[in-house]
Amino acid sequence: MMSGGFHVSHFAAMAAFAACVSVALAALARGTVPARFKYALLSLVLFLAIGVGIAWLMYPFSR
Amino acid sequence: MASDTPAVQKRPDAIAATTSIVAIAGWIVPGLGHLLLGRWGRAVFLLLAVGGLALVGFAMRGELFARESGDPFGALGFFADACSGAFYFLPRVMHWAGPDVSRAAGDYGTRFLAAAGVVNLLGVLDACGIALGRKR
Repeated sequence: MMSGGFHVSHFAAMAAFAACVSVALAALARGTVPARFKYALLSLVLFLAIGVGIAWLMYPFSR
Repeated sequence: MASDTPAVQKRPDAIAATTSIVAIAGWIVPGLGHLLLGRWGRAVFLLLAVGGLALVGFAMRGELFARESGDPFGALGFFADACSGAFYFLPRVMHWAGPDVSRAAGDYGTRFLAAAGVVNLLGVLDACGIALGRKR
């Protein structure tokens, strides 16, 4: 089981991390279920957008 | 005259005992503290989130910090890893290839494992707040 580990792209790893953390933060937040669902979606989108934004900013310094 | 009737108050020692049980249960199995308080929705999502982070971290061959690392960052890393409860001991009971931080995926996996513990710590604090009556 998992003898070699699995290989994922940088974006897939970031998306998996963002999804798990967004779900946890929304589950622990106050408010109604629809409000927390919106919170999870917003958190996920912001994680991905800020991550891709920082990647673009760092791109000129990558070589 | 329901408004004149004093609300039933739990004794402080009973509240302390409940909070302790909830904290320990929530640390050992992510979400179990919430489940004991009847918050099954939070319990399920917390287990999915912490379990997802930990299992993906192990699958990416992330590294668990050692107990005697000798430096403050290592100690913080060990604390974060240990907060994931049962998932911290998962590599000892399953056939796992071990960490490989020579690749980027292994390094990411190390962050996933630490994040799993931190998220579970947030869950334990949330469950304690509910048990103490500070949060609904």
